[in-house]
Amino acid sequence: MKKAAIGLYIIFTIALMVWGYYQAIYVAPTDAMQGELFRIIFYHVPSASVAFVFFAISLAGSICYLAFRRNRAGWAQISDAWALAGAEVGVVFCTVVLLTGPLWGRRAWGIWWTWDARLTTTLVLWLIYVSYLLLRRFAAGPQVQTLAAVLGIFGALDVPIVYMSNRWWRTQHPAPVFGGGEGSGMDPSMLPAFFWNMGAWFAWGILILVLRYHVERQHQQFAAQEAQDALEA
Amino acid sequence: MDEKALLDHQFVVAAYAVTWAVQLGYVAWLAFKWRAQKRAAARMGREAR
Repeated sequence: MKKAAIGLYIIFTIALMVWGYYQAIYVAPTDAMQGELFRIIFYHVPSASVAFVFFAISLAGSICYLAFRRNRAGWAQISDAWALAGAEVGVVFCTVVLLTGPLWGRRAWGIWWTWDARLTTTLVLWLIYVSYLLLRRFAAGPQVQTLAAVLGIFGALDVPIVYMSNRWWRTQHPAPVFGGGEGSGMDPSMLPAFFWNMGAWFAWGILILVLRYHVERQHQQFAAQEAQDALEA
Repeated sequence: MDEKALLDHQFVVAAYAVTWAVQLGYVAWLAFKWRAQKRAAARMGREAR
């Protein structure tokens, strides 16, 4: 039953991705200002949205880990696994944002990169979570999870700064398409393609987030078993 | 297709290709890690017996 549900979800996600791609390339009209280039938005913006939500999951997991670590060890381990999965999959999506953005910028602005507030805060966000992952990978000892949780909480503080950066400061990066006040928004004919791709990338993101969580839980159980065997030996 | 549209199209293709390379690369790494972990757990189980 569980395997069938997972299989159905994978098929649903792949179908959504194919449909989203079809909408982005063949259905959405060409932008009047940017032409074909505008179609990068259908991968760039959903990737940023998924990264933000997954960093928020990592934040929630980190807070729960710190809250439960002394009195509910089982819950603390589950929270820690969600914190790690959220951070790692968030980094994957943030990497996509940092690669597709310069490709768009090179063609639209004539430059690969500029140190404006939106780009710089996004790079800082990526660096913080990469350092989180490196800490978890290379540090050893009983305090690693606690240190990672604290870093995860502080890292998440950058998410609202990234989101607000092109509202607070003048940036080379365009003004927000949604919620950017007067003059912002997307032509209604482009909205279906945008929302199909948003749904598709969230479905894909959830799939790999749950897979990463599962792998981490397995790792925790394996590590606990190893520790138990070492004590008994 | 004029030259500008062709160049725009090439940048779109590059952006989409990079996206899928990152996503599928990560999934492949995750699957590899999962398999290695399962094998290690099975080996440990056999040694314990």
